[in-house]
Amino acid sequence: MHELSLLVEVVKIVEDLVVENKIKKLAAIVLQVGELSSVVPMFMEEYFPVVTLDKPFFKDTKLEIEILPGEAKCLNCGEVFNVVKTEGYCPKCNSFEKELLCGREFLIKELVVYDEEGE
Amino acid sequence: MSSFKILEIKKSIFENNDKQADELRQELKGKKTFLLNLMSSPGSGKTTTLKNTILALKDKINIGVMEADIDSAVDAVTISETGVKVIQLHTGGMCHLDASMTKQGLEGLGIENIDLAILENIGNLVCPAEFDTGAVKNAMILSVPEGDDKPLKYPLMFTICDVLLINKIDVMEYFDFDINKCIERAKKLNPNIKIIPISAKFGDGLEEWTNWLYQEVQKWIK
Repeated sequence: MHELSLLVEVVKIVEDLVVENKIKKLAAIVLQVGELSSVVPMFMEEYFPVVTLDKPFFKDTKLEIEILPGEAKCLNCGEVFNVVKTEGYCPKCNSFEKELLCGREFLIKELVVYDEEGE
Repeated sequence: MSSFKILEIKKSIFENNDKQADELRQELKGKKTFLLNLMSSPGSGKTTTLKNTILALKDKINIGVMEADIDSAVDAVTISETGVKVIQLHTGGMCHLDASMTKQGLEGLGIENIDLAILENIGNLVCPAEFDTGAVKNAMILSVPEGDDKPLKYPLMFTICDVLLINKIDVMEYFDFDINKCIERAKKLNPNIKIIPISAKFGDGLEEWTNWLYQEVQKWIK
């Protein structure tokens, strides 16, 4: 639902990184999005050209999204499981008590930069 | 053929907002203003609850209200009838408020001499939970007609709230709402959450809620 505003934030942060690292040409922005982060990757991909419409720097930049699984550890039996698949219940002992290990991330993982020396 | 190099970043998108929110809380502490972020679904009785909260507290502390809506000013008009300072924030389609929008709102409201600023967030149980507004406490309203399964469906909202008001308990007998189940589900997600069943319309539970709020404000501004 808020993919658009998050994406505006992504572009803002990347613009700062571009200046900071003196990047001349950016091939791709790689995001890591957790399965439980309530972000729909398809919308992010669709909105990226819209958000960068007036930013020629990003004309040839791709947006890549890696999905991180929503994993939790059962507090009853210690089983590590995917909470999306089991709707939150431990597949081994059926307990609902768990500690979330990952899946809520929303990170800029890396920037893929054209290497001038290699050209 | 051009080659590429990878620049590792590993930076959270929420990092900037979280930082701005912490700065805003510091600023509010210095100015002795308590900010409450009030969240709920549309139609949960947020404005009615807010109106009666203001009426109970306005003789004891100075209150200011920010009404956030995608459009329209109907809630701001209702709240202005209580006589407290109120401004309408239009998000222009955005589904939540972040820390920088909240800061702008507080500047628009003017918080000199305001002890309690209340942000009535956009009616939505998903997006507002993701963004720290800089509030000192987060409160949410869940109303009986919405169902006791909402903690299961919107876990993050219940995890980040300090208080859960279960509203419209006066119509409980007409709905399949199991209040014990609801409390159990919310506590499972957030053992520290304070749960107060209320009827904003008839006043049940409102004293417990306004007492809690008053004490939290006093703790913050002393």
